[in-house]
Amino acid sequence: MTRPSDDLQQRFRSALPDTAGTDCPPPDDSWAATAGELPLERVQALVDHGARCAQCAEAWRILAEVRQAATEPAADDPPPVHPPTPRDAPRRRPPLRSLLPLALPALAAAVGFWLTLRPPPPRPPPVERGNAGATVRAESPGVQPARDAVLRWSDVPGAASYNVTVLTPDLTVVHQALALSARELRLPEAVTRRAAGGGLLWNVDAVLPDGRTVASPTFDLHLE
Amino acid sequence: MARRRGGDDGPQGPDAGSLQRIREVLIRAVERHCPPALAAHREDLVQMALVRLLERPAGEGTAARGASYLWRVAYTVVIDEIRRFRRQQRQAEQLAAGERGAPGPEARSELLDCLGELQDRRRTAVTLHLQGFRTVEIATALGWTEKQAENLVYRGLADLRECLEGGET
Repeated sequence: MTRPSDDLQQRFRSALPDTAGTDCPPPDDSWAATAGELPLERVQALVDHGARCAQCAEAWRILAEVRQAATEPAADDPPPVHPPTPRDAPRRRPPLRSLLPLALPALAAAVGFWLTLRPPPPRPPPVERGNAGATVRAESPGVQPARDAVLRWSDVPGAASYNVTVLTPDLTVVHQALALSARELRLPEAVTRRAAGGGLLWNVDAVLPDGRTVASPTFDLHLE
Repeated sequence: MARRRGGDDGPQGPDAGSLQRIREVLIRAVERHCPPALAAHREDLVQMALVRLLERPAGEGTAARGASYLWRVAYTVVIDEIRRFRRQQRQAEQLAAGERGAPGPEARSELLDCLGELQDRRRTAVTLHLQGFRTVEIATALGWTEKQAENLVYRGLADLRECLEGGET
C-alpha cells in the first residue's frame, strides 16, 4: 500500500514556524552537509534545525534544487523535484503473451513511421564565436591610460545586453560586468591599479533576446 | 589586436555562460521556494548575490576551484542575500507596528510532533526527503549507501503516516 509523499511535503512546509532567523547556521554548512563533508551528528543537527525553522527549510529546498542543477549542467530545464515513492503499489500488468501477436506489427509500423517522420533532434542554443566574420569588434584603443581606461565595442544587431569579462594575461578573471545595456565599460580603479603598466585581456558576449550569445574574440589592452 | 579565446569553460574563472546558468537556476529556485513577497525580488536578490560573488578577492575565489565551488559560493551568497532582505523587512515591519513584530509563539503541529518522535536516522532521512532531496543525495549527505537511504526514507515515512493516522482517528 503506497501513497506518494507529496501531501506530507505540503503539510511539512506549511507546518514550519516562522522564526526570527537569528540562530540559523550559515548556508555553507548546509552545502557541506549535502556534500558529505560533515559528521553524521552535525548533519542531523542541521537537518533538525531545518525542521523547526521555515527560513532554513526554504534554504534547504533551494539547496536541493541548486545541487540537482549543479550535477546536471547540460539540462536546460532540470525536472521538478519528485521525491521517491517507496511504497508504490504493485501495478496490474496486462497478459503480455496474449498481446504479443498484435504488438509486434504495431511496433514495426510505429518504428517505421517514427524513422520517416521524426523531428530533427533538439539543438542547444547556438553560440556564435567571433573567429569568423568577427561580429564583435573592439572600438577602444589598445593602449590607454590606467587612470581612465574605457572598453568599447561594436554593436551587435538585436543584442539585448552584453557581458564583459576582464582577465589578466594568465587568464585570471579580475572583473566581470553582466547585463550591460551600453556598449562601453569603464574599468574600476581597483582593476586598473592592479594592471597598471601591464596588460589585460577582455572579451564581450552579446546576449540575444532568444538566449543565444555572440562572443567576441579576446582583445588586448595595455595600461600606461 | 584580437587574440583568440582559449576556451569557454577553462578552470581559471567563472565564464559568462556558467554565471548565466547559475543565475537562471537561482532565480527559478527563489521563485519556487520563497514566499511571493520575497520571490517578487528574485532577480534583484540573485543579481546582488552574483555581484558579491564576483567581487570576492581572487584569493577566496571562484577561480581555479572548479564549477562545483562556484555553485557552492553562489548558493551561500544568495541565501545570505535572502536573509539580509528578510532582516530589513522585519525591521521595517517592527518600526511600522511599534513593539509588535517579533515572531509569535510557535503553533503546535501534529506533523512536526510526529516527525520529532521518529528514530534519529529515519527522522533525518525523512526530513531531507520532505525538503526535496533525492535518495542518492540523502545517501551522500549521511554517508550511507543509496539502498540504506531509500530504506530509511521508506520506513520513516511509514512511521510518520502511522503516527499521523493514530492522532487523527
